Amino acid sequence: MSTPRSHDLLQDSPGKRLCLLGNLAIVRGAVEAGVQFYSCYPGTPSSEISDTIAQFAGRTGIHFEYSVNEKIAVEIAFAASLAGVRSMCGMKHLGLNYALDPAATMPYMGVEGGMVIVSAGDPSAITSPNEQDQRHFCRFLYYPVFDPATPEDARRMTRYAFEFSEKTRLPVILRPTTRICHSSGMVQLGTLSDKRKEIGFHKNPPRYVPIPSNAQRMRTELSARFRQAEELLSASEFFPRRGNGRRGIIASGIAYAYVSQVIDELGVAGDISLLQIGACPIPESLLVDFLNSVDSVLVVEELTPFVEEWVCVSAFRAGRTIPVFGKHTSHLPVEFEYTPDLVEDAVRKYLELGERAKTSVVVPELPPRPPVLCPGCPHRTSFYLVNRVFGKRTIYCNDIGCYTLGYGEPLHACDVLLCMGASISLASGLARTTGQRTVAYIGDSTFFHSGLPALVNAVRADDTITVVILDNYITAMTGFQPSPTTDTERLKEPVPTESPPVADGNGRFSIEDAVRGLGVREIYSVDPFDEKATLAALKQAKRGKGVNVVVCHSPCVVHERRTTRLGKRVPYEISQEQCNACSLCVRVLGCPAILTEDGKYWIDADLCDGCDLCARLCQQDAIHAMTPERVH
Amino acid sequence: MNKGNGRCNRRGWRVVIAGTGGQGVVTAARLLCECFAERGHEVVSGQLHGMAQRGGAVQSSVIIDGGISPMIAAGRADFVVGLEPVETVRALPLMSSRTTVYMNITPVMPFVLAQRAVREGQPRILGAVPTTKTPLALQSKYPEIVELERYIRAVTNNLVKLDATRLAAEASSSAALNMVMLGCLLGSAVLPCTADAFSDFVAARSPGALREANVKAFRMGFEAVKAGDTG
Repeated sequence: MSTPRSHDLLQDSPGKRLCLLGNLAIVRGAVEAGVQFYSCYPGTPSSEISDTIAQFAGRTGIHFEYSVNEKIAVEIAFAASLAGVRSMCGMKHLGLNYALDPAATMPYMGVEGGMVIVSAGDPSAITSPNEQDQRHFCRFLYYPVFDPATPEDARRMTRYAFEFSEKTRLPVILRPTTRICHSSGMVQLGTLSDKRKEIGFHKNPPRYVPIPSNAQRMRTELSARFRQAEELLSASEFFPRRGNGRRGIIASGIAYAYVSQVIDELGVAGDISLLQIGACPIPESLLVDFLNSVDSVLVVEELTPFVEEWVCVSAFRAGRTIPVFGKHTSHLPVEFEYTPDLVEDAVRKYLELGERAKTSVVVPELPPRPPVLCPGCPHRTSFYLVNRVFGKRTIYCNDIGCYTLGYGEPLHACDVLLCMGASISLASGLARTTGQRTVAYIGDSTFFHSGLPALVNAVRADDTITVVILDNYITAMTGFQPSPTTDTERLKEPVPTESPPVADGNGRFSIEDAVRGLGVREIYSVDPFDEKATLAALKQAKRGKGVNVVVCHSPCVVHERRTTRLGKRVPYEISQEQCNACSLCVRVLGCPAILTEDGKYWIDADLCDGCDLCARLCQQDAIHAMTPERVH
Repeated sequence: MNKGNGRCNRRGWRVVIAGTGGQGVVTAARLLCECFAERGHEVVSGQLHGMAQRGGAVQSSVIIDGGISPMIAAGRADFVVGLEPVETVRALPLMSSRTTVYMNITPVMPFVLAQRAVREGQPRILGAVPTTKTPLALQSKYPEIVELERYIRAVTNNLVKLDATRLAAEASSSAALNMVMLGCLLGSAVLPCTADAFSDFVAARSPGALREANVKAFRMGFEAVKAGDTG
């Protein structure tokens, strides 16, 4: 009941209506288009797309991989496309930045099999360090970008995008935002395509080698193919118009769903003409026709005024000088996600309907529930021990993963953070210039993603830094996708891999071998729950000169519980007789299972994972494993 | 244009389910979605949560025959199903006098309270009692249930309180909390599906080992509401 039923997405029952999560609607669109190759790197809010395809890739003959990073995912999918295969890549918005080097030249070369990059956006930066507007890849690098407003849009656009990509030979970006990825709506299943190109790579160097002489020719061809894309889009179903009123509204993405709802609820739909922009390049003729049929227009879209400025330019070129309202007129903000209320306010202002009746609801400030390292998480132990050895004067450079949650009280494990793999380079730069001790924290998946080149750089520069690699054998933050150190033999549903990884005997890729091969001489391999050995290694590392690496191996406890039948360990409890309320456990560890009120301390037995870190810390010896008769 | 006083064109049913990560909010929302979709209704559903972590605040909306927006506008929720007291109050902006609220009265302690308590004064053996003027967010104690109730009653009198965590434990385990709360909702809310039909749907969707426990928990929530045996 709790797992998405992936077989529902494979059924051949055209016309059937299902309530699907946006991400699953994208999967269905890909299945309908007959996707044959899928590569990805996990990233919220895109992850369910990849994880769902992983569930059935093996039995449906789809080549599937969790790539080591997005650049590789894009390159490998592009190669598949060159062989005539319909290929797809999944990642979050920031992932495409990492893959921008290949992605920038792919439109020049062109694809053979249709290629779709899903690059999920995150307005409001809910699970990301920034909110960026992927639609600019259209102007920037000549990518057609699809922008769904509903799960059904997402299905139809994904399905259409493959054929469209083959006709124009342009790779295509699908940009769903968090609100589309993680919302559910009614989806009508389409037919399953059996169109398949013949698979084969046909040598044609002038077509596939963008050396300058070829690149210049490709550039001219690209302009022609981009114009063709605009023509095809003008005949597509992704720019529906509603109503014939003289007040125009143009909307895209989830904002279209809000506008559509708001004008119905306000009872003003009859006065309005509403145009959805489902893709770009926005066909100029279509836009000008719309502008000619209205007296003014309000543009409603999240993030940058992308459509708004496009509208202004098209209106100017067509000599159609009507008022255009939107972000530049302060009807709407450029920052953050929109809400139905915010959109209603903008529509009311535009139509001069007067302000929304404000509710008199008094909302108290409530205690927040920020994300926190889980009880029993090995990262907490590692941070605690590193803090003991390296102290407050060390600069802690952190990276992208669960361990970012070491930020703030009480672990203070994150003084600076930038992007995937940056912890090591940040540590290098800060150590070299300040002469201070620096520690770089990086997880297994992120280390292989983009930490490797930074480590080579630090070794070459002979920077004095300590790199603490937090190896929990899994990409935990995004929902337990395998990393190179995952023991694939042990996963319940093994992920198909084309070639076996270099293993250290357990079916796992060895971080130590990799690090040694990159020229690091001082390497410590520890289990962070072995306090004595870990402290000894960290003390050695602190004294060291040059680059040294401490690899902390301990499995993610949550993943361990889910994939093994070991069950939970015996929880701990605090003896009220022995506890002197010194608060050390809460102050130092920040474990969500340890609670306190009115000077009384206790452990929530449901949350406690039995890692014993607090018991070892307690000076009063007040914390013990529950006796069997007290464990329910 | 003398239009736009709102409300008049509201259609359908809007349900908000609120709780913390691990309580089964998302599963409950999906069950509602799939059940109503299977019965031929148009369903949309949205989720609000940060990084998907155990213990974080989670809010799902389920909108039946009410348009294409997956998010509910301020004051437009018909039903709020609160699996946790503080999280129920967090959904306050979506409530109006016409909203019916079902609130489980067993809290899940936000761990930030412990951090605050030790920062306020350590060791904190007696502890300064927060005054009523201290914003709830700054208090280091979990708010009193009666205080939370006051905030809800200031908006709507249709409040059903129950110890759903206890009922779930009696039925099978605290993991069935979401089923108890769905029992409450289907037992008293006017939705286009009977409790019996929903119970059959839950049975059909539950894996064998959980089928009996889920249905039992659902019935207990249903019976509790019917009997008015609610806090």
